[in-house]
Amino acid sequence: MEHTNKSDVLRQGVIVFIFLAVLTALEFFVAVEIGSTVLLAMIAFVKVGLVFYYYMHIYRLNVQDEDLDRHSYQYKLGTSRIGLWLFLLSDAFIFGGLFVSRFNLLGLGPLPLSSDSQFTALTITSVLLLSSFFMNRAEVSMEHGDRKGFIFGISLTILLGLVFLAGVITVEWPSAINAGVTPSSNAAGAVFFIMTGMHAFHVLTGVIFLSIVLRNGLRGLYSPEKHWAVESATTYWHFVDVVWLFFYPALYLIGKLI
Amino acid sequence: MKKFFTSALMRGLFWQLIGWIVGALFVTGVRVLMGLNPFVTGQYFFTEPAWVFGGLVGAISYVASTGAMTDWFKWAKGEEVPEHREDPPGWEKYLNVSLDHKVIGVQYTVTALFLLCVGGLFALIFRTELAHSGLQFLTLQEYNTFMSLHGIVMIVGILLGVAGLMNYLVPMLIGAQDMAFPRLNAFSYWVAPPAAVLLLSTLLFGGFDTGWTGYPPLSERAPLGMQMFFLGVAVAGWASILGGLNLLASVLRMRAKGMTPFRMPIFVWAAIATSLISTTATQLIGLSFQMVMFQRLFGMGFFDSEKGGNPILFQHLFWFYSHPAVYVFVLPGLGIISELMPVFARKPLFGYRFVAMSSLGIALVGFLVWAHHMFVSGMNPYLRIPFMFSTLLVAVPTGVKFFSWVSTLWKGKIEAPTPMLFVIGGVVVFLLGGLSGPPNATVATDLHLQNTYWIVGHFHDTMFGGYIFPFFAAIYYWFPKVTGRRMNEALGKIHFWLMMPSFLTLTLLMMRVGLLGMRRRVADYDPALGFDNYHLIMTIAAYLIAISILIFLYNLIVSVTHGEVATGNVWNSRSPEWQVPSPMPVHNYDQPFEVIGEPYDYGLPGSVYIKFEDKKSKGH
Repeated sequence: MEHTNKSDVLRQGVIVFIFLAVLTALEFFVAVEIGSTVLLAMIAFVKVGLVFYYYMHIYRLNVQDEDLDRHSYQYKLGTSRIGLWLFLLSDAFIFGGLFVSRFNLLGLGPLPLSSDSQFTALTITSVLLLSSFFMNRAEVSMEHGDRKGFIFGISLTILLGLVFLAGVITVEWPSAINAGVTPSSNAAGAVFFIMTGMHAFHVLTGVIFLSIVLRNGLRGLYSPEKHWAVESATTYWHFVDVVWLFFYPALYLIGKLI
Repeated sequence: MKKFFTSALMRGLFWQLIGWIVGALFVTGVRVLMGLNPFVTGQYFFTEPAWVFGGLVGAISYVASTGAMTDWFKWAKGEEVPEHREDPPGWEKYLNVSLDHKVIGVQYTVTALFLLCVGGLFALIFRTELAHSGLQFLTLQEYNTFMSLHGIVMIVGILLGVAGLMNYLVPMLIGAQDMAFPRLNAFSYWVAPPAAVLLLSTLLFGGFDTGWTGYPPLSERAPLGMQMFFLGVAVAGWASILGGLNLLASVLRMRAKGMTPFRMPIFVWAAIATSLISTTATQLIGLSFQMVMFQRLFGMGFFDSEKGGNPILFQHLFWFYSHPAVYVFVLPGLGIISELMPVFARKPLFGYRFVAMSSLGIALVGFLVWAHHMFVSGMNPYLRIPFMFSTLLVAVPTGVKFFSWVSTLWKGKIEAPTPMLFVIGGVVVFLLGGLSGPPNATVATDLHLQNTYWIVGHFHDTMFGGYIFPFFAAIYYWFPKVTGRRMNEALGKIHFWLMMPSFLTLTLLMMRVGLLGMRRRVADYDPALGFDNYHLIMTIAAYLIAISILIFLYNLIVSVTHGEVATGNVWNSRSPEWQVPSPMPVHNYDQPFEVIGEPYDYGLPGSVYIKFEDKKSKGH
């Protein structure tokens, strides 16, 4: 609604996606060639900033709608946004606690994973990144009344989310276990499984949430003016992505690779 | 009676039990398929994972069967639901899911009173045991379980009491019809009863002997009850998190016209500060307990030094919430003190802005002090100094509050009905708690005081002064608003004058034996230490407190139906909720009001706080 021209907004989504992809490649390069934790942290923060602004629209929290009728949809939308962001803030403390645990227990060293894991991790990270891109397209399409684009975008997002889940559970976990990193083997295994597990649980809830939105979207319950369910599912999905932006380097890239 | 047994409360209990068994059976079935041992031959029949999963399923079944989530299911199915739901008249609404913040506030408060009484009963049991050295009638495991349960039941009770006060008062004080998210509000309340059931069920599973802190490695070896404790706290935590979130959104979005931040009632500031902590930090206690739970269930070695884990990490994660938690308890209480004092001193609240900021200050500094619980834990010694200083810093905003209270009383026309007695009592007791704090924050003295009864005395003074006394004050003060009747003044005064000296005797003696070397959390002590008489006096004082609470409960119950009718502005308050008749109408205010003056200008001629919008002008 801030941008009236749909193609401009879509182009913006593409540019942001390219930035994120380049930064992810850069991240991997930094991990392999330089091994600087500080640089990795900086890149992660830049990526989070991009997602917060362009995909999660954090600026929408700052609205001047004092004069609106308190019972109007617009006013309640503002309240709902604050509620959702407060929930995300609260949820972030769980992930923050896990993040702190990882560094407390393992220091700045790498996890004892096999090199296969690097490939899997980069693949599923790309999948999640791609899903965020389509999620954004779905939301923009909804805002501009393009129902087909919305259905296409959200279906693809759900599909990519499922691919991510399958990647974690059926490829990454067995490969870690083969490398001797099991939940009960040592602290590294415990950290690895609780971090990936907690994140996967959030991806799963996100997929469920998106499926409900897709079903109701197919029945035509949302309009360009009233689609809070779509917006909240989108924001939640991007938040889960943001968590991974930190977890990916923390689990795979920190500590000089190879 | 039929209405009682078919209420959401009882229905939930039934389904919780069913869910518990179904969940346990499910895991047992999975274990059979995996070729694992499905049952244990010991006393609890099902295996530990089965009981834990069952407990979780049971808690979810409770909430689902009450109907607190029905509207969300309808939204997911794409159905429309009405914005408001009218409650049936009479008492049944208090036992069923209601979206009205006032009903939810009363539900919270009554549940809190129930849990506080249960927690108090546990204290009486082991206090009786302590009256004489040697073990009289409890085994060590029983003693430890009652001691641990006393802690956690009181904490959950206080959390629910805090939620009760904030739920009932804040929407009225800011001139809103309800909270920002009424369904979430109902949900937040209805996760609390199953959590309480889980906590009390520890008694059936061998109890737990870690104290409410649940430190590993002891909590790793404790009986099955430990897991129910972890689960209960994690579930109760969600009540706190979602309640805080709701309150923040409500205050940000639903304030009356003209109510700028510095014209909000001071209790609202306290509620904001509290909610900031409970919304965020609560996740960390849930996480730390969850990690121990997983360590027990799956052998994940977070806190197991044999596997490269670190038991100190648990303490960091745990205290990151559990220290700010005490500010969750006391900030609303201190807010009540600041709210009521001007009413009864008939003078403006001294330094309103500083008091408002001091609540936020305490909350924010509270995030930086957690490791002062760990001076003797074996953490890096250089961490002691920064945490010592950050802890001592808390005294500054707290001191601001005391300064404001004393200055508000100064030259006031003080009236002292029961609520004011409890306010003054709260200030005195909290002062004792506050003054006994810095010795614990200072590393040199804390190394001697850690784990003694001194700490127990200090803690109980802060909790009673910062929460329990103001809680009673709030109940006596707002009781007419809820019921349209007053509580008996004479019984209220007896309650206060019995409780206050008994409580001071109890905690001052706790501090005395602590300084003399009495360890906390122990079931027995050496008679040669010469503490027998002190402990006997403490036990007698504890019973006197219990009697005073019984008087209060009698007063409360009888006054609901037989109290003196009081529908007007009983306390001659300027606050908006007293400008409309009691009990409060269903949607609070028929006409919205506008804030046009300062909230606490008592005794200043011609000052106005709020003005109701004209009925006629709205029609045109």
